[in-house]
Amino acid sequence: MDINLVKKLIKIVEQSEISKISIQEGDIKIKISKNSDSHAEVAFTQNAPTQQPVQATLPAIEKQPAEEAPQKNLHEIRSPIVGTFYRAPAPDADPYVKIGDEVSPGTVLCIVEAMKLMNEIESDVSGKIVKILVENATPVEYNQPLFLIEIS
Amino acid sequence: MFNIEEFDIKLDTEIIGRNFVYCDEVESTNDLLLKSKDFNQHGTVLMAEFQTHGKGRKNREWISNAAQNLTFSILLKQNYPEKKINIINLLSSLSVAQALENLYQLNIELKWPNDVLVNKRKIAGILLESVSKGKKIEKLVVGIGINVNQPNFPGKFEIQPTSVRKEFKSIVSRERLLSEVLNIFENLLATAFENSNKILNDWRERCKMIGERVKIIQDNKTLVGVFDDIDEEGYLMLKSEDKIEKIHYGDVSLR
Repeated sequence: MDINLVKKLIKIVEQSEISKISIQEGDIKIKISKNSDSHAEVAFTQNAPTQQPVQATLPAIEKQPAEEAPQKNLHEIRSPIVGTFYRAPAPDADPYVKIGDEVSPGTVLCIVEAMKLMNEIESDVSGKIVKILVENATPVEYNQPLFLIEIS
Repeated sequence: MFNIEEFDIKLDTEIIGRNFVYCDEVESTNDLLLKSKDFNQHGTVLMAEFQTHGKGRKNREWISNAAQNLTFSILLKQNYPEKKINIINLLSSLSVAQALENLYQLNIELKWPNDVLVNKRKIAGILLESVSKGKKIEKLVVGIGINVNQPNFPGKFEIQPTSVRKEFKSIVSRERLLSEVLNIFENLLATAFENSNKILNDWRERCKMIGERVKIIQDNKTLVGVFDDIDEEGYLMLKSEDKIEKIHYGDVSLR
């Protein structure tokens, strides 16, 4: 079985509404399921008596390609809701954080607005902002990465 | 003076408002409830007779005379599914609408996402604020301002304000109104997630802009089209030529 095909399947499950998929090719059966944290879990089974089911989580597989591979001390802050991303509390105010700023758990990083709900996103780690992945006042999807923080 | 005993007698909830905090003056009931470590109990309601920094979307002000109106916030600490979070937004305005209909037979119109209007004038405004860490929304506050017994509104406004007193032609009991809003809020919240269609349909029934040509102002951008419907998550579906766009926010008005 082609590992790239497996990766593609994981992506599809991760980005879709599907929570489970099961595929059989020859005597290899793959089951991919998603838990509530929306990390895909993969179970391979082969119809050979000695084969043990293997479990892998998505981050482990995604790290293999060289391009855009998050280094292990980089932490992603993702959007918990669908909405519009704002870097500042008001149009004429300073942004909450800039690249290079040190943050700690509880530091407010941005607001995502959905309808008339203003959701402040706080950092859940200590570290330094190394990348802001979204332009101010643009739409973001659920679970979309917003910031990269280098964990200290 | 707000009579807490009278309010308590009328309050028919199990959770919402059972922990009730009454203040003379605060900066903003939303800020205090959201930021203070002292408030952590799900369903806590904080009411203030006067807000020095009452606010709306994008730091707009909510101005309200002291001791004549209702300005309060409800703290929610349950883990709500992110796809249903906007249902709370809609049911908040619906609670206020139904309370005003039940008690004063007012003809209420809801404006997307959650303004409450009577005769095109704004009688109540709602602002939800939350804090999330990681993927979890840890605290959510529903801030509600209702113009109750304020007799007049000097100044210039984007949408002309009104009050229950002006529309009902009588001074009314704030205690009764607050308890009615919270009673309905708790009922709607209890069924919101199994039966969000009921909330969506009750909301649609009161939205007069559906089917109309509208203008939506977002930051520096203006969108125009027909307000086709709200989708199952509460977003506005804007139809223009042959495409339908999902709108997350903005100020909607008739063209």
